Amino acid sequence: MDELIEEAPCGFLTLSRDGMIQSINRTLLKILQCPSPKQLIGKHINAALANSAQIFMQLYFFPLIKTKHRVEEMYISLHTESGEEIPVLLNASLQKNNEIVCVIVPMHNRNAFEDEILHAKKMAENAYRDKEKTLMELESALKSVEEKQQELLIANNQNAKYKLDTERELELAKKIQETALTKDIINDKIQIVSYYHASKALSGDIYGFYQVTPEKYGIILLDVMGHGISSALITMSLQSLFQKLISQGVRAENVMQELDQYLHELFQNNQDAWHYCTAIYFNIDTTTRTVEYINAGHPPAIIQNIDGEQQELLATSPPLGTFEDITFKSRTINYTQGTRLLLYTDGVSEAFEPNTLNYLLHDSLPSDISETKGIIQGALENTENKFEKYNHDDQCFILIEL
Amino acid sequence: MSQDTIKRNHVNISGKGKKSIIFAAGFGCDQTVWKDVAPAFADEYQVILFDYVGLGSSNVSAFDPAKYSELSGYVQDVIDVCTALKLEDAIFIGHSVSSMIGLLASIQRPEYFSQLIMIAPSPCYLNDPPEYKGGFEREDLESLLAMMEKNYIGWANAFSINLLNNNRQSDVAKNLEDRFCSTDPLIVNTFARACFFTDSRPHLAKAPVPSLILQCSDDIIAPKEVGEYLKKKMPNSTLTHMNAIGHCPHMSDPDETIQSIKKYLTNQSASLVGEGVGEV
Repeated sequence: MDELIEEAPCGFLTLSRDGMIQSINRTLLKILQCPSPKQLIGKHINAALANSAQIFMQLYFFPLIKTKHRVEEMYISLHTESGEEIPVLLNASLQKNNEIVCVIVPMHNRNAFEDEILHAKKMAENAYRDKEKTLMELESALKSVEEKQQELLIANNQNAKYKLDTERELELAKKIQETALTKDIINDKIQIVSYYHASKALSGDIYGFYQVTPEKYGIILLDVMGHGISSALITMSLQSLFQKLISQGVRAENVMQELDQYLHELFQNNQDAWHYCTAIYFNIDTTTRTVEYINAGHPPAIIQNIDGEQQELLATSPPLGTFEDITFKSRTINYTQGTRLLLYTDGVSEAFEPNTLNYLLHDSLPSDISETKGIIQGALENTENKFEKYNHDDQCFILIEL
Repeated sequence: MSQDTIKRNHVNISGKGKKSIIFAAGFGCDQTVWKDVAPAFADEYQVILFDYVGLGSSNVSAFDPAKYSELSGYVQDVIDVCTALKLEDAIFIGHSVSSMIGLLASIQRPEYFSQLIMIAPSPCYLNDPPEYKGGFEREDLESLLAMMEKNYIGWANAFSINLLNNNRQSDVAKNLEDRFCSTDPLIVNTFARACFFTDSRPHLAKAPVPSLILQCSDDIIAPKEVGEYLKKKMPNSTLTHMNAIGHCPHMSDPDETIQSIKKYLTNQSASLVGEGVGEV
């Protein structure tokens, strides 16, 4: 072998087509820590290769030499006498005489660098995969949020529709309740006007006034505990009962007795639904100029004569539907012409400072009855004067001029 | 569907014969490895060449890393090709790992195959002492994979990370067209793991059709002991020793390879005639 090649700064090797070593330079022998070329010449190149490189040469080197007649920059590992592995780059070409000429350059440093590159590449790939995975998880989370939102939207629409339906129903029910209220009575002997306002659509207050005979009038005002739908339902059943009783001219005590009895019967098997109510009832006889009344736990009615002197008609019995076997006793007082009577529910009195109703009634003495009603109503609806905590109760008052 | 498979696996059909021969390339290579062998069968047989998904001119976008991380993925490719071509009693010629892929396919669909020709086969590359000597320890094979990976740097200009995306650029595939072995790290690494770490020994006894084992000289990948082991375990198998050195006789010594296969096929048909005579 040429001396230049023997000592060249790279490994040099020739192989037969089958891979048998035919010649090897001194540089490569040094790399392989092999004392004599005789140990390798005539042997298969495998003798100088790491196990992995032996397979690799079979899979890539020999097929490439066969098809392309050359191999460039192939990375493999040599195996030294002492068992050390040496990373090398291999270039080879197939000569016309079917000899394979190989040049081998060790690459310790580059190999370490490439290891680092590969390591960094794997890290980057893993990071990328993690990112993709996170992204997919986020997307699926987003999708499920959107689905939930859609469900909420549907539920919300259903609620809105339900609310609308309910409001329509309540509006209709309110009309029905108001239809049950009697109209104002205005004549020479008596004038009766009323004000009715529900805190919600439906009221727990109910009233009725009836001309029983040409001279006699029956007037009743009830306030069922609570307000809203449940209270309103009770007012309606009470209304149908008192209308019949009063119109038939049943005595005041019996009217109250019947209503009381009715409430007891209504809830005797159902304590959860139990409601009581306050009520005030008047029989007015315009011929004898007497007022007969029973106050069952109701706020006191105010009676005021033409000179502005007032008297309060306090409760004569507990509310209806509370204690069993109550005997109702009426009281009778005389009146003079121009006397005024104010009946109201606690939703009215509690909307004002104490005694406000008394002042309003007194101060409106010169006004006619409809103006007086307007003054009280105006005071009730004046939001500035309202006691915030009491503006949620049903409100009802009846004003009578005899 | 059958047209899809033909495109996907880049199936090429030639030859004048009626009986089919299907050639399957070994680890990481495409059908061009058969260019010195396949034409020798074109006069007598219908010659079918194909590429596994991910290799050669197959549809690379059909490569599913999960599917092809097991030999069963490649077995399915073979079955898909046979189904698409409605093959019956075909001769399957597989190199290296494709020998085992062919065996597994024949166990699943025996009606597709009449004989298996196994060139440099090994059912398991790992040593399993004391009974079995595959030739390698796990570390050897792991460093082989690392070596492959290092060589992509030089060969494939360090494939960038976007290879992980499914939309592999077709121009990259084109650049590699003249390479008979794939240098796509994802595909090669996936195939290599399926190829080198699968133990197919439990399936050998189930071989449903006769087989020829072509044993090369000095093949460190499939040593002589492995060929003898196969002969012992596979029913109806014939072992032929070749003079060809190394692991790729179909490339290094195509003539000897052709002669060995033809001789076996001739003997096979002669023995069939013999049986026929014997029955009369």
